[in-house]
Amino acid sequence: MSEIESKSEDKFVFSNYWPSLVIVGAIFSLISFVVGLFFGYQQINSEPAGSFFSPFMLSSGVICLLTAFAGLVAVWHYTKEISPFLKLGQGAVLGFLTGAVITVLSVILSELWVMFFDPEYTQKILQSMIANIEAMDMPASTKEDMIDAMADSIETQQSFFRQIFWGIPVTGLLNLLTALIGVKVFAKKDEETF
Amino acid sequence: MKHLWLYTGILVSLFLLVIVSLGGAVWGAEQTIGHWTGNLLQGVCHQMPQRSFSINGVQMAVNTRCFGIFSGLLAGWLLIPLLIKVRPGKNWTLHFLLVTVMFQIIDFAGNLMEIWTNTNSSRFLTGILLGFAVSLVISELFKQKNLEL
Repeated sequence: MSEIESKSEDKFVFSNYWPSLVIVGAIFSLISFVVGLFFGYQQINSEPAGSFFSPFMLSSGVICLLTAFAGLVAVWHYTKEISPFLKLGQGAVLGFLTGAVITVLSVILSELWVMFFDPEYTQKILQSMIANIEAMDMPASTKEDMIDAMADSIETQQSFFRQIFWGIPVTGLLNLLTALIGVKVFAKKDEETF
Repeated sequence: MKHLWLYTGILVSLFLLVIVSLGGAVWGAEQTIGHWTGNLLQGVCHQMPQRSFSINGVQMAVNTRCFGIFSGLLAGWLLIPLLIKVRPGKNWTLHFLLVTVMFQIIDFAGNLMEIWTNTNSSRFLTGILLGFAVSLVISELFKQKNLEL
């Protein structure tokens, strides 16, 4: 890359980020959505075992693990397709925005699924989890508290804007950190003037 | 140190993340699931009660492994100003990160294959090592050029 091209990368040009943001964000949100559905239907179709370890609870951990790498992949994509030079701050922005895109797109996909394919999905998950808690070996009052808390939690998840509001900060931060690792691994070192 | 604003911003974010991870007890709630701390972190953690620490009988907002990772990230991040002055071999931090990832895999796989039963302590310890290693890898990006010579 010529010196002039390299210098031009010093400016924050948002359009440069779009391809990496959209492609990586879309792929990881699709993965997140499909994995979520897989565990969701596993939960719905499972017999209430009375175990704390349910497929639906497992899904958030698995999704988090998978999507946390999106920041790193976005930086890799940017350095391959746009420019090999990426500053630390630019990598941080790219990582955080990738996390935000994943959250927004996966929430939209989930909403579309419930709207067009399975309107009873959330209700079936809730019923399955209640059946699982009722099969647990614990005092009735504890079970009731757990069911109330879980119902509150799932109702919170049903709101589109709440899902985005709760989802973006943490997903964004985790992707920001993996994007910084991506900057270290994939970006070429250049004189930085922040 | 380069990028002081970025360092400080992430430090504050990680500090808040660890505080929120402590769950509802810190905010006087009787339980974490359904509380805003639990809602904020439900997308990134399974929040299983048996696999979480508790404060005054109230479950934390994340499980022990996640809490370890967040704590390790914060601890490592706090030490970055000191770590950037240490200059052992090249790329050793990446190797250290890979070792800590292997620890996670071994701990998880051993439990899954019923070779052993991992505990909250083992999950927390492997988590804290991983979080610390991530901060360690990133720390090199905050070095001044003249320190790298």
